[in-house]
Amino acid sequence: MTIASQTPPCCHNDIGPAPVEAMERELAQERTLLRRQFTVAAVLTSLVLLASLGPMVGGHHRTLGPPWFSSPWTQLLLTTPVLFWCGRSFFTGAWSALRQHSADMNTLVAAGTGIAWLTSLLVTVFPQVLVAEGLPVDVYYETAAVIITLVLLGRLLEARARGQTSEAIRHLLQLQPPTARVLRQGQPVQIPVSLVAVGDQIVVRPGEKVPVDGVLEEGQSWVEEAMLTGEATPVAKAVGDSVIGASLNRSGSFTFRVTRVGGDTVLAQIVELVRQAQSSRTQVQRLADQVVGWFVPVVIALAVAAFVVWFLISGNAVLAMLFLVSVLVIACPCALGLATPTSIMVASGKGAENGLIFRSAEALETAGKLRTVVLDKTGTLTLGQPEVTDFERLPAARLPIDALLALTAALESRSEHPLAEAIVAYARSRCQDSAWPGVQDFEAVAGRGVRGQVGGHSVVVGTPRWLAELAIDMVPLAPLMAPLEAKACSVATVVVDGNLEACFGISDPPKPSSVAAIAALRRLGLEVVMLSGDARRSAEAVAAQVGIERVIAEVRPADKAAVVRQLQEQGEGPVAMVGDGINDAPALAQADIGIAMGTGTDVAIAASDITLISGNLAGVAAAIDLSRQTMANIRQNLFFAFAYNVAGIPIAAGLLFPLTGWLLNPMIAGAAMAFSSVSVVTNALRLRRYRPTPLPLASR
Amino acid sequence: MTYSSLVLAATAPLWRTIDQPPTLKLLVAALGLAFIVGELWWFLAPHGSGVEARRGLDGRQEVTITVDGGYDPPRIRVVAGQPLRLIFHRIDPSSCVAQVIFPDFQRSLDLPLEATTSIDLLPAEPGLYPFHCGMNMVRGLLEVVAA
Repeated sequence: MTIASQTPPCCHNDIGPAPVEAMERELAQERTLLRRQFTVAAVLTSLVLLASLGPMVGGHHRTLGPPWFSSPWTQLLLTTPVLFWCGRSFFTGAWSALRQHSADMNTLVAAGTGIAWLTSLLVTVFPQVLVAEGLPVDVYYETAAVIITLVLLGRLLEARARGQTSEAIRHLLQLQPPTARVLRQGQPVQIPVSLVAVGDQIVVRPGEKVPVDGVLEEGQSWVEEAMLTGEATPVAKAVGDSVIGASLNRSGSFTFRVTRVGGDTVLAQIVELVRQAQSSRTQVQRLADQVVGWFVPVVIALAVAAFVVWFLISGNAVLAMLFLVSVLVIACPCALGLATPTSIMVASGKGAENGLIFRSAEALETAGKLRTVVLDKTGTLTLGQPEVTDFERLPAARLPIDALLALTAALESRSEHPLAEAIVAYARSRCQDSAWPGVQDFEAVAGRGVRGQVGGHSVVVGTPRWLAELAIDMVPLAPLMAPLEAKACSVATVVVDGNLEACFGISDPPKPSSVAAIAALRRLGLEVVMLSGDARRSAEAVAAQVGIERVIAEVRPADKAAVVRQLQEQGEGPVAMVGDGINDAPALAQADIGIAMGTGTDVAIAASDITLISGNLAGVAAAIDLSRQTMANIRQNLFFAFAYNVAGIPIAAGLLFPLTGWLLNPMIAGAAMAFSSVSVVTNALRLRRYRPTPLPLASR
Repeated sequence: MTYSSLVLAATAPLWRTIDQPPTLKLLVAALGLAFIVGELWWFLAPHGSGVEARRGLDGRQEVTITVDGGYDPPRIRVVAGQPLRLIFHRIDPSSCVAQVIFPDFQRSLDLPLEATTSIDLLPAEPGLYPFHCGMNMVRGLLEVVAA
């Protein structure tokens, strides 16, 4: 049988790779088999325990049943299936691993129980050997049986818990509906979603899920995107708006044109990013990885050393054997191996549920250590939809208003800058497109403005600072600029043929959620810095509105990365940069953690370590909070796993025996081992309870 | 076995000291030491160099890895900068090996039982790139050498 390759899908639209179902089936089969093996083992082990306890009741040699019940031969008969049927996977696994020069938990369990069983078999067949040494003729079948039963129980619980750690990915994969209603010759036809192609028109009725990504062409509705963005409030969708696959249509019917299918959809990309994060490792995990690599061979060496030392001290091979078995079965490499990945699995899945996509485990790790968060102003703190609020002509202006607006708009229409778009929109509301003259020698200077020849005039539109650099006398502008900047407006000045003509006050109001989001960052103890290309006064006015005290203004796009680097060099790191524009990409990459708003460009998202699908700034604090909780969880797991093994192995090796006379019974050692990995997974599962702190309703 | 030995407890009567001949003690110590050395060598020492990837028809490097208690071959030598396809065939029923992770490539692959599954990687830089099962108990190594 050959399962589909993991290369990116090219001709089918199913976002989940084929093995997912097979793996689910296999996991279910494994749980069923484990349950059956555990049940049989538990029954037989109870009988072995009763048989072995019989001779001890009241310290007299009375039996609980007929004498044959307590016979070593009966115990052998009951124990053998426990080891070699219920626990056969330990032995086959250990043998396979041994052949590959590898050792794992199976090796320890198989060696420990096998030695106890073999010793007991020798005692059963040749009891006179112990009698000659003056030792009681004891067998240890129940030790082997109890260890196998407990480890099976541990494995069963662990298999259940491990299934839950990956449930976020499973939920995401299940979000996509299996079919879509596609228009064929104007008639809706239900087809599997895997056959939907780009350009198809799809009808979505109320209560149905949007099958793939597209642009709404007919109708309107409220669509709930909570499952992808974490935002509970439904979003209004009208003609021209984007809809994303797996979102839920709440009210009206609409038709949309498919723009992305298969691996290109937002949902598929989220699933891929979460998978990537779950496949990466944290710095802290590298230490655990190194330990796990040589853990089992070293434990086997320690167990043999314990046997030799105790034999040399006591000359008692049975005592030495029990120390050997205890050391083998108490060591739990699985707890070490599971400590970090399970927490990362749960946390990255939990993040995805809340619209927080971590690109790697390292991003999850670093986000918790952040000290400074740098926020780009436009589009991140503000709505990113600037509007002209003021248009002021200067006393020395020569051109009539309409002519001036036409020249300005003609030049700005060649630029894609948001402020240019605002000026064009304003001009369009005041005069007609057809009146706009042609533009020659157009030049856009990043972060400064634009210039060119328009209708025979030399026109420059840009920041006052730039125009001052171009030797334009800016003194007449001063009385107009101060009130505009105090209102948090960006100022764009128009110069025609070297004469200062007018200025625009352009306002980009803060997002309603910004104030609460900044407050949440402050509560986490972070230094919040606003980065803006605007003049200092207008940038400070926006900062004051949202509650930011530290502003770095008049930064050109190309210098944003340098500002982040400077903060890092000043020892204010780790630094996060939050942005959404193409020009933010270098700064996002320079930062220790780049956080892109999901509403932003693909370039920004590609350069980021964390993506906030909803575009809600509150996600920054939520991501940092989740990261801190995850790292605390990982530290607890690693501490527990290391402490357990570091404390457990010496006790099992009999370090306390000369001092206290205490011996750790191998059965207790087996129980401790079985439950140590269960407790690690259970602790990681606590992260499933994570809920980001909601913002006040008014700010959503 | 006594009831008291079920828990952490003093169990002196059973654990009496037995005089053993010095030669036996010496023999046990020597055998124990030899076992430890042999066992550490078996599990931790490198055993042979990496298996070289074969060339596919389209110039891609290909290696088939059997998953049975470990990865066979466990060490694979490939050339940097050329696409690589790793084909896994899992016959080990243990769920521990049901997933293989390539942390340096941020990729993982589910390995259904008794099935052949493949993953495509592009090892760009020479170096050692470990891969392992979900619990990091079973390990393999990609040895990427310069072209």
